[in-house]
Amino acid sequence: MASLYKKNPVDLLFSSITAIASFSVIVFIVGIFYVLLSESLPAISRFGVLNFITSTDWNPVRESFGAATNIYGTFITTTLSLLIAVPVAVGIAIFVTEIAPNFLKGPIGGAIELLAAIPSIIYGMWGFFTLSPIMSTYIEPALKNSLGKLPVLEILFRGTPMGIDLLTASIILSIMIIPFTASISRDAFNLTPAVVKESAYALGATRWEVVKNIVIPYSKLGVFGGVVLSLGRALGETMAVAFVLGNNHRITTSLLDAAATITVTLANEFTEADTDIYLSSLFYLALVLFVMSFVTLAIAKFFLLRAERKYSR
Amino acid sequence: MIETRTKRKIENIIALILCTLAALIGLFWLVFILADIVVHGIGAFKLSLLLEDPAPPGVEGGGLRNAFVGQLMITACAILIGVPLGVLGGTFLAEYARGRKIARFISILSDIMVSVPSIVIGTFIYAILVRPLGHFSGWAGAVALSIIMIPVVLRTTEDMLTLVPWTLREAAFALGAPYYKVIIQVVYRGAAAGIFTGILLSIARVAGETAPLLFTSFNNSFFSVDMNRPIASLTVSIFQYAMGPYDSWHAQAWAASLVVMIFILFITILGRVILKWRYGKR
Amino acid sequence: MKTILKLLLTVTIILSCHAGNAAEMLNGAGATFPYPVYSAWAYDYNKITGVQLNYQSIGSGGGQRQITERTVDFGASDDPLSPDKLQKDGLLQFPAVVGGVVPVVNIEGVQSGQIRLTSETLCKIFLGDIKYWDDKKLTDNNSGVKLPHSEITVVYRSDGSGTTAIFTNYLDQTCADWKSKVGAGKAVKFPIGIGGKGNEGVANYVKRTQSSIGYVEFAYAKQNKLAHVQLRNAAGTFVEPGFESFEDAAETGDFDPKKDFYLWLANAPGKNSWPIAGATFILLAKDKKDVNMRVVKFFEWAFKNGDNKAKELIYVPLPASLKEKVRGYWKEKGIY
Repeated sequence: MASLYKKNPVDLLFSSITAIASFSVIVFIVGIFYVLLSESLPAISRFGVLNFITSTDWNPVRESFGAATNIYGTFITTTLSLLIAVPVAVGIAIFVTEIAPNFLKGPIGGAIELLAAIPSIIYGMWGFFTLSPIMSTYIEPALKNSLGKLPVLEILFRGTPMGIDLLTASIILSIMIIPFTASISRDAFNLTPAVVKESAYALGATRWEVVKNIVIPYSKLGVFGGVVLSLGRALGETMAVAFVLGNNHRITTSLLDAAATITVTLANEFTEADTDIYLSSLFYLALVLFVMSFVTLAIAKFFLLRAERKYSR
Repeated sequence: MIETRTKRKIENIIALILCTLAALIGLFWLVFILADIVVHGIGAFKLSLLLEDPAPPGVEGGGLRNAFVGQLMITACAILIGVPLGVLGGTFLAEYARGRKIARFISILSDIMVSVPSIVIGTFIYAILVRPLGHFSGWAGAVALSIIMIPVVLRTTEDMLTLVPWTLREAAFALGAPYYKVIIQVVYRGAAAGIFTGILLSIARVAGETAPLLFTSFNNSFFSVDMNRPIASLTVSIFQYAMGPYDSWHAQAWAASLVVMIFILFITILGRVILKWRYGKR
Repeated sequence: MKTILKLLLTVTIILSCHAGNAAEMLNGAGATFPYPVYSAWAYDYNKITGVQLNYQSIGSGGGQRQITERTVDFGASDDPLSPDKLQKDGLLQFPAVVGGVVPVVNIEGVQSGQIRLTSETLCKIFLGDIKYWDDKKLTDNNSGVKLPHSEITVVYRSDGSGTTAIFTNYLDQTCADWKSKVGAGKAVKFPIGIGGKGNEGVANYVKRTQSSIGYVEFAYAKQNKLAHVQLRNAAGTFVEPGFESFEDAAETGDFDPKKDFYLWLANAPGKNSWPIAGATFILLAKDKKDVNMRVVKFFEWAFKNGDNKAKELIYVPLPASLKEKVRGYWKEKGIY
């Protein structure tokens, strides 16, 4: 094949152009990493790596910056949103592959995937104008009065229900990642060989038993990859969270408190950082986010590829 | 014995109900969000939204003509940069580098890059295009969006070209055609619908992006089509207006969201329909 | 597919040709505090001269940063830069308009101007020491008002803000606890509350959150019908925010062109002075002479024709004597 195009000069040119185009992906990734790194060097040399990640002080007045509050906010919102989204998404995938009548499978699957097409700015706006008042008037007071009265869980529900807090942000995020997890899980479920399922049914297994004992064990790699991919997505989500998180650089145990994620801090403070070290710290923050999401996505990809290989065998 | 059977049946029914419930929850959110946007958006939509430029804050009236035009220009320029690079890059992976390690590597890297936080791309462009040139510009926004588009287009192109049967190429080679001609005249033709869908989906992906535009194309309260200058975009305007305190801003933000959403859903569904029609997949 | 690409190409080419005859444009960014008045001026100026003065309210910190980076034609900030700092970054600075920062509240059953606060109670609320609206310290000064037993939600600015600088400068001067625990600046570490982006964001959060208190430039309170409070000033009188009390504060200020007008108006001594007033400043890059002259032309127009518009929005135009000083400053710098 190679010899086919090397003979012709136009072919050589065309193949070089396509090669350059595809290498642009590598250039961008390396470029982003390099630029973020070089921009954050002043902050790295001043605050170090470990110290920056663990320091909770984000104080532009004293020019002392630590990423811990932002990382914490990112961590809590993504974890909580996964806790909410994954059961729902897996349930949807089971429904679409195993339960729904055939004529409903396509439409419902497609409808759920439409959730992924809605832009994040619209999620944010909807969350701010519609979801947040519902949270602050109905759901959060209810949680406070029920779970908030229990001895240990109480620390999760301290403070005034404002609707602009970790809980609301996590719920919006969870809605946004449901379609990713659901569609990857569905694809993985669909790959379970029909023969195996049918023999289980023949032995008298119920549908749930087939799902629980055959489909899920068979496809767990793919589902896990899907969950990690959703995690990677949730890490970098900006606008949907920016509306309802309340921009607060503090570590708090309460889900009813305002917080800040890395993305929100960048969106709010990037153009307004007045000192060089402030801007450099924001680039540093972007670098941390880039590395975090890159690693997460790479792990997701690793599992998805392994799953793919397993099924194609 | 009978007891365990009943227990199994009950467990089965509960599990099935829970899964159905999960599907209903998903649909509930979709309907809730769409209906909410439609109701608020239609109520707030006025023709002046498309025909007038913004009024000063706190003054009633005005529209977002500048943002509609700005958004179109930024997106169009992003397409002009991103689509050729993506299609050509995908061609390399599926044709010239088919089966080689480098193709697989770039392919995986693109999959990762599809999900790289878009705000990070915004900071990157600020550092390389905004600060050195000394001004925010529509071009910077377009480049930021095109970086998001490229991996999407590249991956779909690769997949779609791979789907074109190898025998088709061999038939053309047999006629003595050089590879590039085979690609352009045979392979592209065979995969046109698929590539087109990839482009559509990448447009849908970037048309709603806000974060990468905040520090690049910035915003402009006047009508401007100069891509060398700050330029308004719908998404940034929605962010500004929705976060702002004025009721008239909120109304315009809803109406603009409705327009953006209709546009994106239309493109997404169109892409799906083409895929289904051409490849019989979902 | 090709046809669509061609179509797109043509449209873009047509549009970019169009760009050739685009209007003259000036880009400014910064303080959200004067955003309503600047945009109103720019709107009128555009109608008369055709010049587009694009002002984006991204916060005072943003204004300082972007003019220092030279990514905009002018910056705006309510947080005056010291002459040293201006010298270092090659910037010029002059005041454009005076306004007032006003604590605004959203409490059920409480009307605008009903609640009276002192610097001490205001400080304690923002420190989180006073947690409920019916706290004894608050009811003491507000005998006629029925304050509910509801938890206070503090709303502050999350971005680098001159409004915050003016506000915290006031608390810093009047409240020892604040000085030791928080300090003054554009983006201080508020001990409690939620952060809104820009004056717009704070106004929006206060408007939508029950039992909340925030601080905004008065125009935002006025335009959004937010309930403001009365404050006790340095002379010991409770004053309403408004044109008169802001003007009173402005008159106590002695702006000096030699110091690039660097001055805070916080806690002004006048009998009827609003205690949290401040001027808002324009920043220019020394090296962009040509652009500076066009910016100055706009402000000269605004000084001459914009007073009524400013008053309408409850900003205080600079007194005639100060305007003369600013003109002198422009002349001296060769940009007038």
